[in-house]
Amino acid sequence: MKAVEVKNLSFKYNNSEDYVLEDVNFSVNSGETVAIIGQSGCGKSTLCNCISGLIPRVYTGHLSGEVLIYGENIKNLSIADTVTRIGIIFQNPSTQLFSPTIEDELAFGPENLCVDRDEIGIRIEKILKTINMEKYRYDNPNNLSGGQQQLIAIASVLMLNPAILICDEIMSWIDDEGKEIIMNVLLKLKEDGKTIIMVDHELENIKISDRIIYLGGQ
Amino acid sequence: MNDIDPRTKLIQVLILSTLALIYNKLSLLSLILLAAIVIALLNRINLLSILIRLKRLVKMIILIALIQSLLTKTGNPIFRIGNFTLLTDYGLIKSLEFILRLGIIIVSAAIITTSSSREIIQGLIQWHCPYEIAFMVSVAIRFLPIFKEEMTDMITAIQLRGIDLHKVKFNKKIQVYKYILTPITINSVIKAKELAAAMEMRGFRAYPQRTSYMVLKMQAFDYIIIGLSIAAAFLFFTFQ
Amino acid sequence: MNNIDINNISYEYHRGRQIFNNFSLQLKNGETTFLTGCNGCGKTTLTKLIMGIIKPTSGEIKIFGKRADSLSLGSMGEIIGYVFQYPERQLFSSSVMDELTFPLIFKGYNKIETFEKAKDLLKIFDLEKVKNSYPSLLSYGEKRRLAIASVLMVVPKYLILDEPTASLDNHRIDALSDVLIELKNRKIGMLIISHNKTFIEKHKDRVIKLEGGQIYE
Repeated sequence: MKAVEVKNLSFKYNNSEDYVLEDVNFSVNSGETVAIIGQSGCGKSTLCNCISGLIPRVYTGHLSGEVLIYGENIKNLSIADTVTRIGIIFQNPSTQLFSPTIEDELAFGPENLCVDRDEIGIRIEKILKTINMEKYRYDNPNNLSGGQQQLIAIASVLMLNPAILICDEIMSWIDDEGKEIIMNVLLKLKEDGKTIIMVDHELENIKISDRIIYLGGQ
Repeated sequence: MNDIDPRTKLIQVLILSTLALIYNKLSLLSLILLAAIVIALLNRINLLSILIRLKRLVKMIILIALIQSLLTKTGNPIFRIGNFTLLTDYGLIKSLEFILRLGIIIVSAAIITTSSSREIIQGLIQWHCPYEIAFMVSVAIRFLPIFKEEMTDMITAIQLRGIDLHKVKFNKKIQVYKYILTPITINSVIKAKELAAAMEMRGFRAYPQRTSYMVLKMQAFDYIIIGLSIAAAFLFFTFQ
Repeated sequence: MNNIDINNISYEYHRGRQIFNNFSLQLKNGETTFLTGCNGCGKTTLTKLIMGIIKPTSGEIKIFGKRADSLSLGSMGEIIGYVFQYPERQLFSSSVMDELTFPLIFKGYNKIETFEKAKDLLKIFDLEKVKNSYPSLLSYGEKRRLAIASVLMVVPKYLILDEPTASLDNHRIDALSDVLIELKNRKIGMLIISHNKTFIEKHKDRVIKLEGGQIYE
């Protein structure tokens, strides 16, 4: 089953003349790790936002074409259904973390979906173990390094158990040490069968991908 | 002492600020400020370091108070230059009132910050405040230090480009402020959008209600403190 | 004197954490020095101390023979161009073109010359297409290029760049490399904070690592 199918996707922002995305077509198989590369400005982030449903939910514009998640049109999925299927992590760690402690940050997602407390507790312990940050549980995310903050951002998204993860240039602000840690976590997730879509422009960062998709003018 | 429920602190601060608004007499306001300081010290707040960090704010408050007293003409004059009255006793009293009230507000804010923002939100939510509003408060708290940092960096950057804020003529000053405030506003909006996207993708507002991992339980100690605070306010009421 | 001399400075953060204790460093003009080290170890703080944005609690910093504390920020900005880690904190205008030209016009420089200079820089940094765009709405990469271009408008003797390659794709990094080579030819010295190994290898004259308040070559 194809995890993600993008069909004839075109998009332009409301106050713009030019289309950022024009007739984009591709699909991603379940369990695959796919890298999307292209020059800056070619619409990589816009594509991520379309696949995750943020366009048109949060960002508006002229959207045509279809995005199918496991066969269902993302337009017809509720917020709860969307976020339990797809998670997205962004470039800037500081605008993704807003809680006073890591535990609060991790609990935020499942709390929104009315998951019960005991289950939330179980997931928190499991995730902290996966990213090897159990001892930071009660720390303030502000005091972590950029790499650690991104890990918490990834973990917070994983708390909802999405099968598909979109990484929108997540290593841009991270130093080499942090990059390695994040890569290792992504590898673990790949082994667990997650479908990963990585947008990046550094070849070093996308070396774990099975396939590369080129976006834009090449 | 930091196991005090945030709602207890909220109630204490509410009582303090209400009393501060009702009463005018300097002696009473001083008492209220004293009570606030005692509560703050019991919560292990280092008031001195806060005072130092807020020294610019403190200077501004004193300046406003001085201006207010200079502009108040009623009452018996204390300072005079020739026929011009600089300071009256009424003006002095009014400005001291102002300083005391603001002091109470600052100390109250410090008391509230001894609880984490998540705890305060949880307190508000368990008091049936709609969670969207409670989260708005928490986001503001979280981003305040970042805004301060941005503002400082921007002012530094514009000075590095050769625009000395102190030496700029008045008519150009407005243009310079535009150059600083516009990007800060826009950057804030951009940040807000990024934050909204992240929260949305973690299911914020998926349902009209949400569960909470953190649960606040009022202990006997909390009820005792609330009781004492209300009693103290009542005594204050009757004996002033 | 053609160096930036940092002599025995000490500095601590507000919360009392000592970052530099009797720290000394000499940076030669004309040289490209890369500053590496973990995040939070004080690299950005060091650059701010050099620029006079923050002052050391003891010790002295001399910028090409002049004492740093005798220079105003405006004068400092004409000697050393400083590009922040977050470029949006140094972009003020409503258009890219205005961003490049307004400080000079504000100070009374010749308008025609200023615009010519700006046009050159727009070309070098590949910003011609967005010259009328709102800087705040540019991508991270474009903002960074604009920030670097804008500090170059006053032709400083030295540059401090904080993570100039973050968020730039390889194509843009190459373009930045070309600019750096040109600046080197003009004998402009640089202190660059970076983690990009390839970039460091390509441009370094010297690499120093800041760890625990000490410099390691």
